[in-house]
Amino acid sequence: MTDTIPQVTLKPLTWTPHLPPVEIEDATPRQLEAMKVTPSAKKVSPYVRTLAHDPDSYVARTVLFNAIMYAEGGLNRADRELGALGASLINGCKYCANVHARQHARLTGTATTSALYAGRRDALNPRDAAIMDFAEALTATPPTAEQSHVEALRAQGMEDAEIQDLIHSIAIFGWANRLMHPLGHSD
Amino acid sequence: MTAVPDAIDQALGIAPGSPLHALRALRPEFVSGAEACRAAVLDPEETLDLSPELRRAIARRVVAGAGHDRLTEGYPRPADPALAALADGEMPEDFALAALARHADLIAETPAKAGPEHLSALQEAGFSVPQIIALSELLAFACYQIRVVHGLGLLKETRA
Repeated sequence: MTDTIPQVTLKPLTWTPHLPPVEIEDATPRQLEAMKVTPSAKKVSPYVRTLAHDPDSYVARTVLFNAIMYAEGGLNRADRELGALGASLINGCKYCANVHARQHARLTGTATTSALYAGRRDALNPRDAAIMDFAEALTATPPTAEQSHVEALRAQGMEDAEIQDLIHSIAIFGWANRLMHPLGHSD
Repeated sequence: MTAVPDAIDQALGIAPGSPLHALRALRPEFVSGAEACRAAVLDPEETLDLSPELRRAIARRVVAGAGHDRLTEGYPRPADPALAALADGEMPEDFALAALARHADLIAETPAKAGPEHLSALQEAGFSVPQIIALSELLAFACYQIRVVHGLGLLKETRA
Protein backbone atom coordinates (compact mmCIF):
# COMPACT_ATOMS: atom_id res chain seq x y z
CA MET A 1 0.00 0.00 0.00
CA THR A 2 1.21 3.46 -0.82
CA ASP A 3 -0.87 5.37 1.71
CA THR A 4 0.38 5.46 5.27
CA ILE A 5 -1.45 4.11 8.28
CA PRO A 6 -0.59 5.79 11.58
CA GLN A 7 1.31 3.26 13.68
CA VAL A 8 -0.58 2.32 16.82
CA THR A 9 1.17 1.50 20.07
CA LEU A 10 -1.30 -0.35 22.28
CA LYS A 11 -1.15 0.18 26.02
CA PRO A 12 -1.69 -2.81 28.31
CA LEU A 13 -5.18 -3.20 29.79
CA THR A 14 -6.13 -4.31 33.28
CA TRP A 15 -8.58 -7.20 33.73
CA THR A 16 -10.99 -7.26 36.66
CA PRO A 17 -13.16 -10.30 37.40
CA HIS A 18 -16.95 -10.05 37.82
CA LEU A 19 -16.88 -12.89 40.36
CA PRO A 20 -14.77 -13.07 43.53
CA PRO A 21 -11.45 -14.85 42.85
CA VAL A 22 -9.86 -17.36 45.20
CA GLU A 23 -7.96 -15.58 47.94
CA ILE A 24 -4.56 -17.14 48.51
CA GLU A 25 -5.12 -17.47 52.26
CA ASP A 26 -8.37 -19.43 51.62
CA ALA A 27 -7.03 -21.63 48.79
CA THR A 28 -7.08 -25.41 49.06
CA PRO A 29 -3.82 -27.34 48.57
CA ARG A 30 -4.94 -28.33 45.06
CA GLN A 31 -5.76 -24.71 44.19
CA LEU A 32 -2.36 -23.59 45.45
CA GLU A 33 -0.72 -26.35 43.44
CA ALA A 34 -2.72 -25.33 40.36
CA MET A 35 -1.65 -21.70 40.75
CA LYS A 36 1.92 -22.85 41.43
CA VAL A 37 1.99 -20.64 44.48
CA THR A 38 5.23 -20.79 46.37
CA PRO A 39 6.06 -18.99 49.60
CA SER A 40 8.33 -16.66 47.65
CA ALA A 41 5.77 -15.83 44.95
CA LYS A 42 2.40 -14.98 46.44
CA LYS A 43 1.38 -12.46 43.79
CA VAL A 44 -1.00 -14.34 41.49
CA SER A 45 -3.12 -12.51 38.91
CA PRO A 46 -6.89 -12.10 39.46
CA TYR A 47 -7.48 -14.09 36.26
CA VAL A 48 -5.55 -17.10 37.54
CA ARG A 49 -7.20 -16.83 40.95
CA THR A 50 -10.68 -16.66 39.36
CA LEU A 51 -10.12 -19.81 37.32
CA ALA A 52 -8.44 -21.60 40.23
CA HIS A 53 -11.94 -22.14 41.66
CA ASP A 54 -11.83 -25.21 39.39
CA PRO A 55 -8.23 -26.43 39.66
CA ASP A 56 -8.70 -29.47 37.40
CA SER A 57 -9.67 -27.52 34.28
CA TYR A 58 -7.24 -24.70 35.05
CA VAL A 59 -4.21 -26.98 35.09
CA ALA A 60 -5.22 -29.04 32.04
CA ARG A 61 -6.05 -25.99 29.93
CA THR A 62 -2.84 -24.18 30.87
CA VAL A 63 -0.73 -27.15 29.77
CA LEU A 64 -2.57 -27.32 26.42
CA PHE A 65 -2.46 -23.54 25.95
CA ASN A 66 1.30 -23.41 26.47
CA ALA A 67 1.87 -26.30 24.06
CA ILE A 68 -0.19 -24.61 21.35
CA MET A 69 1.31 -21.16 21.70
CA TYR A 70 4.94 -22.04 22.48
CA ALA A 71 5.73 -25.50 21.05
CA GLU A 72 9.02 -25.65 19.17
CA GLY A 73 9.07 -25.79 15.38
CA GLY A 74 6.09 -25.55 13.07
CA LEU A 75 4.27 -22.26 12.59
CA ASN A 76 6.21 -19.16 13.61
CA ARG A 77 5.22 -17.39 16.82
CA ALA A 78 3.93 -14.24 15.11
CA ASP A 79 1.45 -16.17 12.98
CA ARG A 80 0.16 -18.02 16.05
CA GLU A 81 -0.33 -14.65 17.74
CA LEU A 82 -2.20 -13.37 14.68
CA GLY A 83 -4.53 -16.39 14.82
CA ALA A 84 -5.13 -15.62 18.50
CA LEU A 85 -5.78 -11.97 17.68
CA GLY A 86 -8.21 -12.78 14.87
CA ALA A 87 -10.26 -15.04 17.15
CA SER A 88 -10.20 -12.49 19.98
CA LEU A 89 -11.45 -9.65 17.77
CA ILE A 90 -14.40 -11.75 16.53
CA ASN A 91 -15.23 -13.02 20.01
CA GLY A 92 -15.16 -9.50 21.41
CA CYS A 93 -12.42 -10.21 23.94
CA LYS A 94 -10.76 -6.81 24.15
CA TYR A 95 -8.25 -7.93 26.74
CA CYS A 96 -7.03 -10.98 24.79
CA ALA A 97 -6.91 -8.95 21.57
CA ASN A 98 -4.79 -6.31 23.27
CA VAL A 99 -2.33 -8.82 24.75
CA HIS A 100 -1.85 -10.72 21.51
CA ALA A 101 -1.74 -7.65 19.29
CA ARG A 102 1.11 -6.39 21.47
CA GLN A 103 2.84 -9.77 21.26
CA HIS A 104 2.51 -9.70 17.48
CA ALA A 105 3.85 -6.16 17.32
CA ARG A 106 6.78 -7.10 19.55
CA LEU A 107 7.65 -9.98 17.22
CA THR A 108 7.18 -8.31 13.82
CA GLY A 109 6.53 -4.59 14.25
CA THR A 110 3.30 -2.61 14.31
CA ALA A 111 2.28 -2.62 10.63
CA THR A 112 -0.22 -5.48 10.85
CA THR A 113 -1.80 -4.59 14.17
CA SER A 114 -1.99 -0.90 13.23
CA ALA A 115 -3.87 -1.82 10.05
CA LEU A 116 -6.26 -4.07 11.99
CA TYR A 117 -6.98 -1.51 14.71
CA ALA A 118 -7.50 1.15 12.02
CA GLY A 119 -10.04 -1.08 10.27
CA ARG A 120 -7.75 -1.30 7.24
CA ARG A 121 -7.89 -4.99 6.32
CA ASP A 122 -6.98 -3.97 2.76
CA ALA A 123 -3.53 -2.93 4.00
CA LEU A 124 -2.54 -6.39 5.29
CA ASN A 125 0.11 -8.33 3.41
CA PRO A 126 -1.31 -11.40 1.59
CA ARG A 127 -0.12 -13.91 4.21
CA ASP A 128 -1.60 -11.96 7.12
CA ALA A 129 -4.83 -11.48 5.15
CA ALA A 130 -5.11 -15.24 4.54
CA ILE A 131 -4.50 -15.92 8.25
CA MET A 132 -7.11 -13.35 9.34
CA ASP A 133 -9.70 -14.64 6.86
CA PHE A 134 -9.21 -18.17 8.15
CA ALA A 135 -9.22 -17.09 11.81
CA GLU A 136 -12.51 -15.25 11.36
CA ALA A 137 -14.18 -18.10 9.48
CA LEU A 138 -13.06 -20.73 11.98
CA THR A 139 -14.14 -18.54 14.90
CA ALA A 140 -17.67 -17.99 13.53
CA THR A 141 -20.49 -19.99 15.15
CA PRO A 142 -20.90 -22.41 13.54
CA PRO A 143 -17.53 -22.21 11.78
CA THR A 144 -17.67 -21.25 8.12
CA ALA A 145 -14.05 -22.03 7.21
CA GLU A 146 -13.83 -24.02 3.99
CA GLN A 147 -11.33 -25.59 1.63
CA SER A 148 -10.69 -22.28 -0.12
CA HIS A 149 -9.30 -20.81 3.11
CA VAL A 150 -6.82 -23.69 3.37
CA GLU A 151 -5.86 -23.23 -0.28
CA ALA A 152 -5.23 -19.53 0.36
CA LEU A 153 -2.88 -20.41 3.24
CA ARG A 154 -1.08 -23.02 1.13
CA ALA A 155 -0.73 -20.44 -1.65
CA GLN A 156 1.18 -18.29 0.86
CA GLY A 157 3.64 -21.14 1.39
CA MET A 158 2.13 -22.55 4.55
CA GLU A 159 2.56 -26.29 4.98
CA ASP A 160 -0.19 -28.45 6.45
CA ALA A 161 1.79 -28.96 9.67
CA GLU A 162 1.84 -25.18 10.06
CA ILE A 163 -1.86 -24.88 9.22
CA GLN A 164 -2.50 -27.45 11.94
CA ASP A 165 -0.67 -25.18 14.40
CA LEU A 166 -2.72 -22.21 13.20
CA ILE A 167 -5.99 -24.12 13.66
CA HIS A 168 -5.03 -24.86 17.25
CA SER A 169 -3.99 -21.30 18.04
CA ILE A 170 -7.34 -20.03 16.73
CA ALA A 171 -9.28 -22.77 18.53
CA ILE A 172 -7.58 -22.27 21.90
CA PHE A 173 -8.67 -18.63 21.75
CA GLY A 174 -12.19 -19.80 21.01
CA TRP A 175 -11.76 -21.21 24.51
CA ALA A 176 -9.75 -18.46 26.26
CA ASN A 177 -11.94 -15.63 24.90
CA ARG A 178 -14.99 -17.40 26.34
CA LEU A 179 -13.42 -17.19 29.80
CA MET A 180 -11.74 -13.80 29.81
CA HIS A 181 -14.55 -11.75 28.29
CA PRO A 182 -17.62 -13.26 30.01
CA LEU A 183 -15.91 -13.50 33.41
CA GLY A 184 -14.53 -10.00 33.69
CA HIS A 185 -14.04 -6.57 32.19
CA SER A 186 -10.93 -4.76 31.04
CA ASP A 187 -9.94 -1.12 30.88
CA MET B 1 0.31 -41.28 21.10
CA THR B 2 -2.12 -43.66 22.74
CA ALA B 3 -3.32 -46.67 20.77
CA VAL B 4 -6.96 -45.85 21.52
CA PRO B 5 -8.42 -43.21 19.19
CA ASP B 6 -8.99 -39.96 21.07
CA ALA B 7 -12.17 -37.86 20.92
CA ILE B 8 -10.86 -35.76 18.02
CA ASP B 9 -9.87 -38.81 15.95
CA GLN B 10 -13.32 -40.26 16.57
CA ALA B 11 -15.02 -37.02 15.59
CA LEU B 12 -12.94 -36.84 12.40
CA GLY B 13 -13.43 -40.53 11.63
CA ILE B 14 -9.71 -41.11 11.20
CA ALA B 15 -7.47 -44.00 12.24
CA PRO B 16 -3.75 -44.74 12.27
CA GLY B 17 -2.49 -44.95 8.71
CA SER B 18 -4.48 -41.99 7.42
CA PRO B 19 -2.56 -38.86 6.39
CA LEU B 20 -4.48 -36.69 8.86
CA HIS B 21 -3.69 -39.08 11.70
CA ALA B 22 -0.02 -38.80 10.78
CA LEU B 23 -0.32 -35.01 10.74
CA ARG B 24 -1.84 -35.03 14.24
CA ALA B 25 1.00 -37.29 15.41
CA LEU B 26 3.42 -34.41 14.71
CA ARG B 27 1.92 -32.64 17.73
CA PRO B 28 1.44 -35.33 20.38
CA GLU B 29 1.22 -32.64 23.07
CA PHE B 30 -1.90 -31.19 21.39
CA VAL B 31 -3.50 -34.65 21.32
CA SER B 32 -2.69 -35.60 24.91
CA GLY B 33 -3.37 -32.04 26.10
CA ALA B 34 -6.88 -32.03 24.65
CA GLU B 35 -7.61 -35.45 26.14
CA ALA B 36 -6.48 -34.23 29.57
CA CYS B 37 -8.75 -31.20 29.18
CA ARG B 38 -11.65 -33.41 28.16
CA ALA B 39 -11.18 -35.47 31.33
CA ALA B 40 -10.86 -32.31 33.43
CA VAL B 41 -14.12 -30.75 32.25
CA LEU B 42 -16.19 -33.98 32.08
CA ASP B 43 -14.81 -36.11 34.92
CA PRO B 44 -12.71 -33.90 37.19
CA GLU B 45 -11.28 -35.03 40.49
CA GLU B 46 -13.26 -32.23 42.17
CA THR B 47 -16.78 -32.63 40.79
CA LEU B 48 -18.19 -29.47 42.44
CA ASP B 49 -21.54 -31.30 42.51
CA LEU B 50 -21.90 -31.14 38.74
CA SER B 51 -22.67 -34.68 37.59
CA PRO B 52 -20.91 -36.35 34.66
CA GLU B 53 -24.33 -36.65 32.97
CA LEU B 54 -25.05 -32.94 33.35
CA ARG B 55 -21.61 -32.06 32.03
CA ARG B 56 -22.07 -34.28 28.96
CA ALA B 57 -25.57 -32.92 28.34
CA ILE B 58 -24.22 -29.36 28.20
CA ALA B 59 -21.35 -30.34 25.91
CA ARG B 60 -23.75 -32.15 23.60
CA ARG B 61 -26.00 -29.07 23.42
CA VAL B 62 -23.04 -26.92 22.42
CA VAL B 63 -21.40 -29.20 19.85
CA ALA B 64 -24.70 -30.27 18.25
CA GLY B 65 -25.02 -26.80 16.72
CA ALA B 66 -21.83 -27.22 14.70
CA GLY B 67 -23.04 -30.00 12.44
CA HIS B 68 -20.21 -32.48 13.06
CA ASP B 69 -22.31 -35.54 13.86
CA ARG B 70 -19.52 -37.78 15.09
CA LEU B 71 -18.42 -35.09 17.54
CA THR B 72 -21.98 -34.90 18.89
CA GLU B 73 -22.11 -38.70 19.19
CA GLY B 74 -19.11 -38.47 21.52
CA TYR B 75 -21.53 -37.08 24.12
CA PRO B 76 -24.24 -39.67 24.77
CA ARG B 77 -27.81 -38.41 24.98
CA PRO B 78 -28.83 -38.55 28.67
CA ALA B 79 -31.59 -40.92 29.80
CA ASP B 80 -32.97 -38.36 32.24
CA PRO B 81 -35.71 -36.36 30.42
CA ALA B 82 -34.70 -32.98 31.87
CA LEU B 83 -31.04 -33.50 30.94
CA ALA B 84 -32.11 -34.83 27.53
CA ALA B 85 -34.00 -31.58 26.91
CA LEU B 86 -30.85 -29.68 27.83
CA ALA B 87 -28.74 -31.87 25.54
CA ASP B 88 -31.24 -31.62 22.67
CA GLY B 89 -31.15 -27.83 22.53
CA GLU B 90 -34.62 -27.43 24.02
CA MET B 91 -35.52 -25.18 26.95
CA PRO B 92 -35.72 -27.38 30.08
CA GLU B 93 -38.64 -26.73 32.47
CA ASP B 94 -36.36 -26.82 35.51
CA PHE B 95 -35.41 -23.27 36.48
CA ALA B 96 -31.69 -23.96 37.04
CA LEU B 97 -31.31 -26.07 33.90
CA ALA B 98 -33.11 -23.42 31.85
CA ALA B 99 -30.71 -20.76 33.14
CA LEU B 100 -27.82 -23.04 32.23
CA ALA B 101 -29.26 -23.65 28.75
CA ARG B 102 -29.59 -19.92 28.10
CA HIS B 103 -26.03 -19.32 29.28
CA ALA B 104 -24.66 -22.16 27.16
CA ASP B 105 -26.32 -20.75 24.04
CA LEU B 106 -25.05 -17.24 24.76
CA ILE B 107 -21.45 -18.34 25.31
CA ALA B 108 -21.39 -20.71 22.34
CA GLU B 109 -23.07 -18.40 19.84
CA THR B 110 -22.44 -14.80 20.88
CA PRO B 111 -19.69 -14.64 23.51
CA ALA B 112 -19.09 -10.97 22.72
CA LYS B 113 -22.52 -10.18 24.20
CA ALA B 114 -21.77 -11.82 27.56
CA GLY B 115 -21.76 -9.52 30.57
CA PRO B 116 -21.91 -9.59 34.38
CA GLU B 117 -25.72 -9.84 34.34
CA HIS B 118 -25.44 -13.31 32.80
CA LEU B 119 -23.28 -14.50 35.69
CA SER B 120 -25.80 -13.01 38.13
CA ALA B 121 -28.54 -15.01 36.40
CA LEU B 122 -26.60 -18.21 37.02
CA GLN B 123 -26.04 -17.28 40.66
CA GLU B 124 -29.76 -16.55 41.07
CA ALA B 125 -30.47 -19.99 39.62
CA GLY B 126 -28.41 -21.48 42.46
CA PHE B 127 -25.00 -22.04 40.89
CA SER B 128 -21.97 -21.31 43.08
CA VAL B 129 -18.93 -19.36 41.90
CA PRO B 130 -16.77 -22.52 41.54
CA GLN B 131 -19.60 -24.19 39.61
CA ILE B 132 -19.88 -21.19 37.28
CA ILE B 133 -16.13 -21.36 36.62
CA ALA B 134 -16.29 -25.11 35.93
CA LEU B 135 -19.29 -24.65 33.62
CA SER B 136 -17.51 -21.81 31.80
CA GLU B 137 -14.50 -24.03 31.15
CA LEU B 138 -16.73 -26.87 29.99
CA LEU B 139 -18.67 -24.67 27.56
CA ALA B 140 -15.52 -23.14 26.17
CA PHE B 141 -13.84 -26.54 25.82
CA ALA B 142 -16.75 -27.72 23.65
CA CYS B 143 -16.27 -24.59 21.51
CA TYR B 144 -12.56 -25.44 21.21
CA GLN B 145 -13.37 -28.99 20.09
CA ILE B 146 -15.75 -27.72 17.41
CA ARG B 147 -13.01 -25.57 15.89
CA VAL B 148 -10.28 -28.20 16.02
CA VAL B 149 -12.55 -30.76 14.38
CA HIS B 150 -13.80 -28.30 11.77
CA GLY B 151 -10.32 -27.03 10.96
CA LEU B 152 -8.59 -30.40 10.84
CA GLY B 153 -11.45 -31.74 8.71
CA LEU B 154 -10.30 -29.30 6.04
CA LEU B 155 -6.87 -30.99 6.08
CA LYS B 156 -8.16 -34.48 5.33
CA GLU B 157 -6.87 -34.08 1.81
CA THR B 158 -3.53 -33.42 3.39
CA ARG B 159 -0.37 -32.60 1.48
CA ALA B 160 3.17 -33.33 2.53
